[in-house]
Amino acid sequence: MKIAPIEYGDRKVYSVSAFNRGVADWLARLPTLWVEGEVTELRRHTGWQSVFFTLKDPADGACLPATMPRGRFDALRLDLVDGERVHVFGRPELYEARGDFRLRVLSIERFGLGDHLAALERLKRKLAAEGLFAPERKRPLPRLPRVVGLVTGNDAAAKRDVLSTLTARFPPAHVVVAETYVQGPRAAAAIVEALRSLCAVPAVDVIVVARGGGSFEDLLPFSDERLVRAIAGCPVPVVSAVGHEQDTPLCDLAADVRASTPTAAGRLVVPDLGELLAGLDRSRGRLARGAQRAVVRERDALALVRDRLRRAPVLAVERKRAALEQAAARLKALSPEATLERGYAIVRTDDEIVRSPARLRPGQPLRVEVAEGEFGARVE
Amino acid sequence: MTGAPAEPGEPSFESAQRELEGILARLESGEASLDEAIALWERGEELYRFCLARLDAAHGRIEELVRTTSAATPPEGG
Repeated sequence: MKIAPIEYGDRKVYSVSAFNRGVADWLARLPTLWVEGEVTELRRHTGWQSVFFTLKDPADGACLPATMPRGRFDALRLDLVDGERVHVFGRPELYEARGDFRLRVLSIERFGLGDHLAALERLKRKLAAEGLFAPERKRPLPRLPRVVGLVTGNDAAAKRDVLSTLTARFPPAHVVVAETYVQGPRAAAAIVEALRSLCAVPAVDVIVVARGGGSFEDLLPFSDERLVRAIAGCPVPVVSAVGHEQDTPLCDLAADVRASTPTAAGRLVVPDLGELLAGLDRSRGRLARGAQRAVVRERDALALVRDRLRRAPVLAVERKRAALEQAAARLKALSPEATLERGYAIVRTDDEIVRSPARLRPGQPLRVEVAEGEFGARVE
Repeated sequence: MTGAPAEPGEPSFESAQRELEGILARLESGEASLDEAIALWERGEELYRFCLARLDAAHGRIEELVRTTSAATPPEGG
């Protein structure tokens, strides 16, 4: 249909109705296509011709109003709940009477397992590229956390397993539990909120996120981008114990430590009190022995010094005696005794040794000394 | 010197344990003089008592955080 403007001189002006019609026509030329989103605000009344809902983008919350003929909607028997992820087939249209833009839905498909797997793989690659799962981001767990935070479903076996392991290993453990939804469309946001509230509790040094096994769909919230980012950005280390060994929700990759079971998580976050005390006692023993060794070493060194001190005077006397003996030997070497031994004699008058015959008179008495004694003689 | 570890701020159990390990290594190396060995031993004893006190001071406690999600519908179990 031709949309004709009203002409006011050079100006072409459209009526509201004509404008809406024009835009609606233009939109109608767009092809039908698939749109992915979460179903919210679903309104279905038996008296209405159409069913209304809003498709929401889980990543940023962008909204798109949608409508579908009620008969067609009912025929699908989808039984959709709020927040459920779907693929919607339709085309954009303008509700001319109100100028409302919306998606005219021809068919809805529940987001299937294959879609989930493909979406998960894409998200995993994207987050990995951002470095969220990098090993160098992992923080060590505290050896003795002041307070342990626990995010879990209420009355869950996972909760019981974590708590009983914590208290068995370390009876003085202080645990703050944040109960939350752990499955369903609201779970991801609720778990993020629980993490945030635990971080606000003073002295929380580590947080355990625990959930028992479940179906692939049950565990989907633990791969939600918001939750994965919240875990990676958590100010304290996070231990993830979600599902069974073979399940690897993305939160496991973002957590600082992955525990295979809730019980294993309990063992990771607190030390064994008995071992801790025994270790402390061993340290104390080593401390005492270490100090003792230093004392003994010093005492031995001291004893050595005392011995040397005590021996010093004796040594001095001995040294003197040796010197004396040496002197005696030299003295002996110099005395005439040795000369006498060889047969020489010393001849004396009364007052001097005879060195020349000049001053001797005949008949004068002399004393002759030989090696073995002396005897008298007279000058002829 | 007080019984608290040299590093300021909590958590300090770890730093106390680490310091104690360092002291043991130094003592057991046999390189410390008598004066140093005695000082190390005293410091080590302090750290030991500090760690023990930290363990004694902790009283087992399990608290439930008030739920921030809608209280009207209880969370499903898991």
